[in-house]
Amino acid sequence: MSYYFTILSPTDTPIFNIAFGTSKGGGDGIARFRFPDTAQYMNQFIIHSSLDIVEEAQWINGGMYLKHIDTYPPAAAYISAFLTPSGARFLLLHQPPQLPSGTSSGLGSSSLLGSSASTTRASSSSVAANPTSPQTEEAVRQFMNEVYESYVKTAMSPFYKQGMEIKSPVFRTKVTGAGKKWL
Amino acid sequence: MTSPGDGTPVKPPPSFSPGAALASSKSRYTDGQEVTHSIDTELTEARSVSSPTAPLSATTAELPIRSASPQRSVRSSTPQLARSSLGSPFDGRFDGSEDIRSLIIRAFSPTVAVHASDDTDELVRNKGFKGGFRELVRPFGETVQGKVIIRDSVGSSRAWEDFGVRFVDLKGFGRSPANRDSGRDSPLAQTEEVLEKQLNSAEGPAGAVPTKDVLGFPATTPLCKLFLRQLLASTSVGPHETFGHPVASVITISSRNPAPLETLRQLYAESNTGDKRLPEWVNQEYLRYYVLIHDEERDDITESTKLYDQMKRHFGLHCHLLRLRSSQCVVTDDDSVQVPQCEWLSPHERLSGAGEAGMFTHPELLQTSSNAQTETLVDLGTDSTPYLFDSDVTAIKTFIRELIVQSVIPFMENRVAVWNDQVASRRRGISGRFMSMSRRWAGFGSSSRSGIGGSSGGGSGNYDPNQNFYGPDSPEAILRKMADFAVMLRDWKLSASTYEIIRSDFGNDKAWKYHAAAHEMCAVSTLLNPMAMSAKIKLESVDQMFETACYSYLTRCSDSTHALRCLALAVELLKSRGGSATESAARWAMRVMDFGLVGSVGQVLFMERVAACYASKTPAGGAKWGARRRKAGMWSIFAADQWLKLGKPNLASACVEEAERLYAEVLETDGVFPMPEMQAFVDNLRHAVKVEYLEARGFDARDESATHHPLDTEETSEKLEKIDKRNHRRSLIGLPGQLDAGNLKMTATARESGNSPNDDFERA
Repeated sequence: MSYYFTILSPTDTPIFNIAFGTSKGGGDGIARFRFPDTAQYMNQFIIHSSLDIVEEAQWINGGMYLKHIDTYPPAAAYISAFLTPSGARFLLLHQPPQLPSGTSSGLGSSSLLGSSASTTRASSSSVAANPTSPQTEEAVRQFMNEVYESYVKTAMSPFYKQGMEIKSPVFRTKVTGAGKKWL
Repeated sequence: MTSPGDGTPVKPPPSFSPGAALASSKSRYTDGQEVTHSIDTELTEARSVSSPTAPLSATTAELPIRSASPQRSVRSSTPQLARSSLGSPFDGRFDGSEDIRSLIIRAFSPTVAVHASDDTDELVRNKGFKGGFRELVRPFGETVQGKVIIRDSVGSSRAWEDFGVRFVDLKGFGRSPANRDSGRDSPLAQTEEVLEKQLNSAEGPAGAVPTKDVLGFPATTPLCKLFLRQLLASTSVGPHETFGHPVASVITISSRNPAPLETLRQLYAESNTGDKRLPEWVNQEYLRYYVLIHDEERDDITESTKLYDQMKRHFGLHCHLLRLRSSQCVVTDDDSVQVPQCEWLSPHERLSGAGEAGMFTHPELLQTSSNAQTETLVDLGTDSTPYLFDSDVTAIKTFIRELIVQSVIPFMENRVAVWNDQVASRRRGISGRFMSMSRRWAGFGSSSRSGIGGSSGGGSGNYDPNQNFYGPDSPEAILRKMADFAVMLRDWKLSASTYEIIRSDFGNDKAWKYHAAAHEMCAVSTLLNPMAMSAKIKLESVDQMFETACYSYLTRCSDSTHALRCLALAVELLKSRGGSATESAARWAMRVMDFGLVGSVGQVLFMERVAACYASKTPAGGAKWGARRRKAGMWSIFAADQWLKLGKPNLASACVEEAERLYAEVLETDGVFPMPEMQAFVDNLRHAVKVEYLEARGFDARDESATHHPLDTEETSEKLEKIDKRNHRRSLIGLPGQLDAGNLKMTATARESGNSPNDDFERA
């Protein structure tokens, strides 16, 4: 699984971005998206387009965590969203690894046995290869809550104004830590 | 049998004077003047299209104001539904979804086989129609003049203005090359080829042609419509669906024939038992219609009338005397009328007939594209488009109207009523359900049948698994035919319920192609039925049916043409449903791309369709949320990127423009994306489009010779800006400087209006 996490201000400006891969099941925590390296804008397009759904879902769903809200089928990208009371939105794009030919991942290039072993290991962990499973939902929820906690702390800093980009390295480490822990 | 048209005179009622007919079937004629006439209607229509594709006028600066009115789109979506349920299906001809609906409805028209004697064909060939009598009547059959009244199974009648039939040649029927599903000759490959040809011809020497409508964005691009039409026309005739099977056969002789009645008999026998017999999976009970062509110039009318009376005595009411002049008509003749072009040419015909008049049959394309195409049309028009005398045209139109209104439709209505009574009601009743249930538990029901029933695993035994068809007299085949008749007669309620009955039977018999087709048509008729469907559950079942159909076509029969047709129908019909159905339409369009059913051009077309689907989703109940502008915008951008990769900067620029319009509402500042990488990508794309567009128009040669290369945009962007300004200045002084979208449109309009007198001249 590869993840792209974004915090959007109420005016849709991104204030924090991070891309990371799974650390579960022997993952090394490096994001490997299905798009070629030159097409990393795709993540932002997909995230941006899912705002349509967020806007709709936020009125229907009462909770802060909106769960899995959107899918981009051509790239098998799944979006989960979390709302804060101040109007900032946490969006997490997650993409399961490409099974048939994961040339960049190094695992898929090995034999069929190797790749199947990796999938079984992945499915035994809490975040299954299936991005819509309840386990995934739960893991993402935990991740979102933890990030929310650090976000509130960061936002309360006297040097931070609402809508500013979050540059704090502490926050970044914390998000990375949460990603390692849950995803 | 009392036909609704019995009492009406043969001639069209006065309300359908040529003017009215023209206006109603506007999209079929390539009349430049007419475009200008209908500008007002079209403008209002275009504004009320439920998609945010409100007309884009001169400059992009106006964008946010124009499209930022969700209320308008909300309002418009309601009348659209109401309109389609109210009866006149023709009101909304100009707005996108109704247009597509009409196209789909007309795709399922009855087929009439033409069986002409040699002397008839010779007479017609003298008139300049190489293909014989069928070629002469075919274009006229596609639209029947005036309204056609059809009664449905519950007895309520409804008038249709866009009814038509397809004429096919009995000689070649069912003997089309059997295995065309693979390789270059497959209908899909041919469709793709047609598209590419159309694209390239639209490109022309003068450079890019804006394929979009002059007045702004139509809901569907002409190219997309062409694709859909090609797809619907390309499916070959098979046992599993009967739309291609003849409903009637027109047996024709001419007054030159020395032994007319014997010839008629012989022709009848040929079609019944002889070598021109239809394949055995076709139901042989179709209507025979006898036509006598009277040669006005060489033969005596009294003789012909006498013969005609004799024919009437022999064959009953289904006869017609068609009076034609036998000499060839040329443009310079006083009362020459250009023969309208066939709308439903299959990709194969279109490719083989590319040199003939068939190529540019697309009114939308003709209307909207500019000089490059019109020039080609001029070339074609002078030598190969056939002309007819006005009197001949009137005679043929009258003949076709009489054939359809007085014979074909009553015949079909009658068959549907009979089958409904004899076959379908038996299945619908409680005992019928029990029968089909007991048949499934092999042993009870199959005792009445031969032993095959048991061996085929509880199937009915009517299916021949070796030859893969049902005999035409088996109840399954008859029900299928009845449902198809109902579709052709536009009684979708009956057809949906009938498909519903039979679709599981086909599954039990493992007749997978029948199974797929029945599921497909069941979903299609449910969606076409304007009354049905409000609940969401229904939508899910429709989705399920498409899913099954698609799976059966692709996996069990590996028939990609039908699968693609099924999915394309799903996309268009769900999109026209509006509301949450649009999202599932978009999903199907993505599935098409995912399955790889289409080639590169088709991929981009479906990207555009996804964008259009999302764009047509309107906010619910006046709220600000619920639209899918961002998604639509994203897909438009991707489509633009792909067009550019295919080397079609004109289409790419249209897509970029569309995307800008879609994004206008959701972005804080116009054209500025909050996300840096998106911004960079979109900027690059815009530049690349501009550069290529200019190159295509040959601007680099005139402005700064060999200054830029299309690919390295970063380097040339500064220069570009220079050119940019220069062109703006040029455009001010009246030269075609089309850098931004608005200018492009304006010039298109100007060129359009400049061309229309030219068109008139050609047509005159």
